[in-house]
Amino acid sequence: MARIGVFVCHCGENISSTVDCERVAQQAGRLPGVAFSADYKYMCSDPGQSMIKEAIAEHRLTGVVVSACSPRMHEPTFRKACAEAGLNHYLCEMANIREQCSWVHPKDEATTQKAFDLVRTQVEKVRNDNPLEPIRVPVNKTAVVVGGGVAGIQVALDVAAGGHKVILVERDPSIGGHMSQLSETFPTLDCSQCILTPRMVEAAQHPNITLMTYSELESMDGFIGNFNLRIRRKARSVDEKLCTGCGLCTTKCPNKKIPSEFEQGLAFRTAIYTPFPQAVPNKPVIDRDNCTWFKTGKCGVCGKLCPTGAINYQQQDEIVEVKAGAIVLATGFEVKKTDFFPEYGYGRYRDVITGLQFERLASASGPTRGEIRRPSDGRVPEKVVFVACAGSRDPAKGIPYCSKICCMYTAKHAMLYKHKVHEGTPYVFYMDIRAAGKNYDEFTRRAIEEDGAKYIRGRVSNIYEKNGKLVVRGADTLLGGKPVEIEADMVVLATAAVSCDGSEELAQKLHVSYDSYKFFAEAHPKLKPVETNTAGIYLAGACQAPKDIPESVAAASGAAAKVIGLFANDTLTREPVVARVNRTAPPIFSTCMGCGLCISICPYQAIDTEEITDRSGKVVKTIARINPGLCQGCGTCVSFCRSKSIDLEGYSNKQVYQEVVAMLNSD
Amino acid sequence: MSKLQDTARSLLDAGEVKVAIGYGEGSVGRVRPLFVTDAAGAQGLIYDGRCTQNLAVYTYKKETAAMGKPAVTAGVATMRALMRLVAERQLREGDFIALAVVGDEVTVCRTLSEMENWLAAAAPKPREADMEMIARIEAMTPAERWAFWRGEMDRCFRCYACRQACPLCYCTQCTVEVNQPQWIPVGATVQGNLEWHAMRAMHLAGRCIECGQCGDACPVDIPIHLLTVKLAADVRNVYGAATGMARDETCAMSIFKPDDRENFIG
Repeated sequence: MARIGVFVCHCGENISSTVDCERVAQQAGRLPGVAFSADYKYMCSDPGQSMIKEAIAEHRLTGVVVSACSPRMHEPTFRKACAEAGLNHYLCEMANIREQCSWVHPKDEATTQKAFDLVRTQVEKVRNDNPLEPIRVPVNKTAVVVGGGVAGIQVALDVAAGGHKVILVERDPSIGGHMSQLSETFPTLDCSQCILTPRMVEAAQHPNITLMTYSELESMDGFIGNFNLRIRRKARSVDEKLCTGCGLCTTKCPNKKIPSEFEQGLAFRTAIYTPFPQAVPNKPVIDRDNCTWFKTGKCGVCGKLCPTGAINYQQQDEIVEVKAGAIVLATGFEVKKTDFFPEYGYGRYRDVITGLQFERLASASGPTRGEIRRPSDGRVPEKVVFVACAGSRDPAKGIPYCSKICCMYTAKHAMLYKHKVHEGTPYVFYMDIRAAGKNYDEFTRRAIEEDGAKYIRGRVSNIYEKNGKLVVRGADTLLGGKPVEIEADMVVLATAAVSCDGSEELAQKLHVSYDSYKFFAEAHPKLKPVETNTAGIYLAGACQAPKDIPESVAAASGAAAKVIGLFANDTLTREPVVARVNRTAPPIFSTCMGCGLCISICPYQAIDTEEITDRSGKVVKTIARINPGLCQGCGTCVSFCRSKSIDLEGYSNKQVYQEVVAMLNSD
Repeated sequence: MSKLQDTARSLLDAGEVKVAIGYGEGSVGRVRPLFVTDAAGAQGLIYDGRCTQNLAVYTYKKETAAMGKPAVTAGVATMRALMRLVAERQLREGDFIALAVVGDEVTVCRTLSEMENWLAAAAPKPREADMEMIARIEAMTPAERWAFWRGEMDRCFRCYACRQACPLCYCTQCTVEVNQPQWIPVGATVQGNLEWHAMRAMHLAGRCIECGQCGDACPVDIPIHLLTVKLAADVRNVYGAATGMARDETCAMSIFKPDDRENFIG
């Protein structure tokens, strides 16, 4: 016979202002099987918990219903209290009479009745509860970091410093990401490569870090602590072990007119190339789409010249299988190209460039060796117009959000231009100057006050070419919307930061949720900013939303702290709320018919098959088997199984049925 | 002697199968399933327009499965059922031979590839009479439709002939027989009957091979197959999947594809 205790919380006045808690407790006390009931102002307080513990001992309770807030809030608190009093964790259930009752209904008789009905369903659930034991699974203490930009490098270094193995996967031939393309960084104007390349080298040399460049994640299965990943190592066509990075092949390649991705199309590269001089690893790859050998079977110059014989035209993509306990996504962002803007010339005007292209112009390692020159004729521009919010904060362009980094880098660009071209005039069209951050506002003030950047508050309506000049038409909203026309030599668009190409597919491969802009979604916008909804997968940097370098690095260290915290234990405890396939007496063995449809419906790949054998080892039946380590207890298979051969521990068919009946029999 | 009889006899003679499952003459001009275990019996096998019962059910029913490896006379519907049973892991290649029949022509299919090719060439379509009836029901107002089905369900006395005739109702324990808890009432009331038939239809969504045998088997002539045939048509329209055509097909209701149409939402 069940001896159930019901504890009704007032939650101060949160519940008691609309629900008659005392009456709910009294009525509950009269339910069959309820041995004790009480109400109290704050059940979650120490005295409240003590009340539960004492009642368990005194009334020899076999189950507890706490009727209070959402189980999301205090279920762990009450289950722990019950466990301390010797009751199994899973014999304690919560009736949510706050979020689902008192908060959403007025003070009324019916509200109290609903609270009682909710209590009654949970009494039925507890009556059919079984004690469960937590499942312990081992933790594989290797982390896979996807994306080798500054965020990914930081995660890798921090996790490696914690003594754990890291595999850093980067789809480009070199790590470094966007930061390696930048000239100087705000608000200090220190050289981007000078501060990044030491971290790149450190990552490459760290004994705990394995670099996998020119590689992409192919597929993932498994779960927190035990992920199985398949990583495609794309064929470099260069044997990394033999190559010394001498670069002879790249100088002799006859195919020299391929727009360089690293230089944002402002310079050319060869078909066999190293993306930039400080690339890590400093080993070239052959771009097979543009290589004469791969297109026509003729040439082979690099193969003939290579002093170590490292060129391998026959190399194939290789699939590497990796086991890991945690995954960190740091895949970064992209910027819109100029062809996205019909009003600014659809990318037809060569001297209308993106902010990222300006970074290359201003960079000492860039195509102009740091001199600001127009891409069209190489002249030094006398007037440069910078357009902030190109695409960003523009619902009509489908990008209603703020790209966050543009205000700062546009101020930086105006400054760098002025520092390099003293007689030049930088104009900045802006909507607002968003310079929140340490030393940020001071930085933009400096651009305006010391470097003479002419800030015009207004948007640019269109740009057209006239007599070798770019006519920029806009409005000055601080002068009542007065039309402004500037004949510029060059225009720099601070184009919107958007999610990376392929991020949606990656999110689907990893079962990670993403927002409508295809940025990866955090588990909680405030309290879980680096976690995803999938346990064991974390986020760092601008793959989540536009972020500047300090924010990306901070998020990366945050994600690394989560990984190290996970790896601090040899095993991890999982909720025993898992599905199980029934077993019955011979000759049926299980009512499961082994049709296998649950295998494809399971979103966690937790189901495979198992063979039931007789004594002689002969297979008598093949049925579904659910891996309790992989099962997340979602119940999809339970509802899909036609023969009702699967049941969910803690939420069994019987329990749910009894809850429904209790609710329907309400009087 | 017909080609079908010839083929069955030689397979039995050679010992390649233990039983030939087909159709034979019954009483009052009806046909009945025939189980031929010796070569001499093969002359009883027939195949004509009356032979619509789905014989795939006998590949797994306890008594007939015990007879040994069968050669099954398979029209398009039976062949689709066999293929679907393979897809749902109830049959394996080599467990059976299909004698694919069209009119007097017989194709012996030993491998799944042969069966798949034959099915692809046969290009199955739902029965025209069924589609006409479905169109008539769809033209009704919701109130008329509800009254129609309530009237039909009122006659059901839960003999489960529909389930016995269905080649895909192979579970040893049907949901309706689960009594801990008893989700579906077993009594023959309108409410319980509606729940039972709605559940059966949902269990066949994305699986039904449109043979219509559940309806044909009904002793009180409830056109119960229209529910599953309509679902099969919907699945084909929405997901482009015909069932019972290939060994590795899954169930449209048990998979997710990023490009699945979602126009039925909202």
